[in-house]
Amino acid sequence: MAKDQDKTILKMTVNGEPVEVAVNPAWTLLRVIREELGLTGTKEGCGIGDCGACTVLLEGKTVNSCLVLALQAEGKEVRTVEGLGTEENLDPLQESFIEYGAVQCGFCTPGMLISARALLDKNPHPTTEEIKVAISGNLCRCTGYVKIIQAIEIVAQEG
Amino acid sequence: MQSYEYYAPRSLPDALEYLAENAKNCRIIAGGTDLIPALRNEDIHPAFLLNIMEIAEVGGISETEQTVRIGAITTFNDLAESGLIRKEFPILSEMALSVGGPQTRNRGTIGGNIASAAPAADGLPVFLSLDAEVELSSRRGKRNLPLNEAIAKAWTPAWGNDELITAIRIKKLPSGTRTAFYKLARRQAMARSRMTISLILRRDPAGIIEELRFVPGSVMPVPRRMEEIEKLLTGKVPTDELLDQAARAVGEEMVKVTGIRWSTGYKKPVLGNLFRIVLSQLITAG
Ligand SMILES: Cc1cc2nc3c(=O)[nH]c(=O)nc-3n(C[C@@H](O)[C@@H](O)[C@H](O)COP(=O)(O)OP(=O)(O)OC[C@H]3O[C@@H](n4cnc5c(N)ncnc54)[C@H](O)[C@@H]3O)c2cc1C
Ligand code: FES
Ligand code: FES
Repeated sequence: MAKDQDKTILKMTVNGEPVEVAVNPAWTLLRVIREELGLTGTKEGCGIGDCGACTVLLEGKTVNSCLVLALQAEGKEVRTVEGLGTEENLDPLQESFIEYGAVQCGFCTPGMLISARALLDKNPHPTTEEIKVAISGNLCRCTGYVKIIQAIEIVAQEG
Repeated sequence: MQSYEYYAPRSLPDALEYLAENAKNCRIIAGGTDLIPALRNEDIHPAFLLNIMEIAEVGGISETEQTVRIGAITTFNDLAESGLIRKEFPILSEMALSVGGPQTRNRGTIGGNIASAAPAADGLPVFLSLDAEVELSSRRGKRNLPLNEAIAKAWTPAWGNDELITAIRIKKLPSGTRTAFYKLARRQAMARSRMTISLILRRDPAGIIEELRFVPGSVMPVPRRMEEIEKLLTGKVPTDELLDQAARAVGEEMVKVTGIRWSTGYKKPVLGNLFRIVLSQLITAG
C-alpha cells in the first residue's frame, strides 16, 4: 500500500459538489468514486474498458472510469448515477427502466443510465439505431437489451 | 501496485523538459485506454507518468490550403464530429466511428493509437493510406517523420524516448479522390479490429486508375501499404479479370509478410475477397 505522504490532493466537481480528496497517483477515477467518495452506484465489472459498468460522465462525456486515472479528473466535472436523480425525484430514465423491466440483476444499470442520459441530453429524440450505438459500450448479461432500448425510447418519445 | 510520479503540465515546453529529464523511465499517458490496462497488468512499471491531455498545443484540428493538422490528443470522437475531417478525409470519420464503444471513442486518442503500434490498431492503417506524417517534438526541437518510418516493429515506435507526437499532418487529397474504410469485426460495436481495408482511389475520366493506395489492417505485425498491389492496378482499367488477379495477389502478398500461421487459411482468401468487394464498390459508387 502507498504511504499517505505519496498522496496528492485531487480537486474536482462530483455531481455538482466540489470535492477534495487525497489520492494515490496510481488510483483510477473508479476507485476514488467508489472507495474514497463512497458513491457505490458506479460498478466495477471488467476493469479494462470492456463492460461499461463503470461509466460516468467526465465533462459531459461518457467514459469508462476504470480507464481514467483519478488525477486526470483534476479540475473537471464528474457525474455519476447518484447525480441523475434523488429517491424522491428519479430521472425519467430511472422510472422508465423500472417500469419497463429494463433492470434484472441491476449490475449494468447505472452505466446504462449514464450512457442513455448522455445521449438524450445531446439528442432528445434519437432513433432506435442511435440508442443502440449509445449503449453499445455497455454490456448486459441479463435482459438481452430489448427492454433497455424500449425504456429509453419511451422517455425519448415523452421528452 | 504501481508507484510513479505523476505530472500534468499545461505547457508543451514543460512537458518536453520533463520528458527529456526522465526519458528512460517515463511514460506518456493520453486517454489511457491502452496504458491503464498495461499498468493494471503490471506489464510496465514507469517511474514517471506524463499526462499530455491538458496541453492545448497537442490538441485541435486545423487546416492550411494544402494540409490538415490533427493534434495528437484528438479523440476518436473529436475526429468523428469534425466537419473538416468529414469533408477532407471521410475515411477518417468512418474509422473513428468504428472504434470501440462511445466511452472508448470519448477517451482514446489518435496519438495513442499510433504510439501503441498495435497490429490491430484501426487508426494506424488509415493514416498510412493517407501518407500521413507524425510531428514529433522534444527539447531538441521539432521534426516531421513519415508515418511509414515511425513504427519499428509491432508495439514499438521508432522515435526517441524523449520525443512525443504533437500532431499528425496529412496532405489534402486531389479532387475526385474516393476513399473507403471497411472493418470486418466479430462483434461490430466493441471488438478490437479483426481485419480492415483502407483504400484511396482516383481514376481519370476514361476510368484508368491514376492512383491507388491500399493498407490492410490487423493482418501484418506492422501495417503498411501493399505497393505491389497498388502497382498491379495503377495505370489500368479495373476489369473483372484484373480485379480477380489483384484479389489473389493480395492473399499472396499477405503470406509473404506474415508467413503461414494458424489464421492464414482463413485470412488469405477473406482479405483478397474483401479487398475486391470494397474496391469494386468504390469504383461503382457515385
Ligand atoms: C474497450 C476498448 C475497445 C477498443 N477498440 C478499439 C478499436 O476498435 N480499434 C482500435 O484501433 N483501438 C481500439 N481500442 C484501443 C484504443 O482505444 C487505443 O489504441 C487508443 O487509441 C490509444 O490512445 P490513448 O489516448 O488511450 O493512449 P494511452 O493509453 O494513453 O497511450 C497508449 C500508448 O501511447 C503512448 N502515447 C500516447 N500518446 C502519445 C503521444 N502523443 N506521443 C507519444 N506517445 C504517446 C503511451 O505512452 C502509451 O505507450 C480499444 C480499447 C478499449 C479499451
Ligand atoms: S469496469 Fe470499466 S469497463 Fe468494465
Ligand atoms: S440487468 Fe444484469 S447485467 Fe444488465
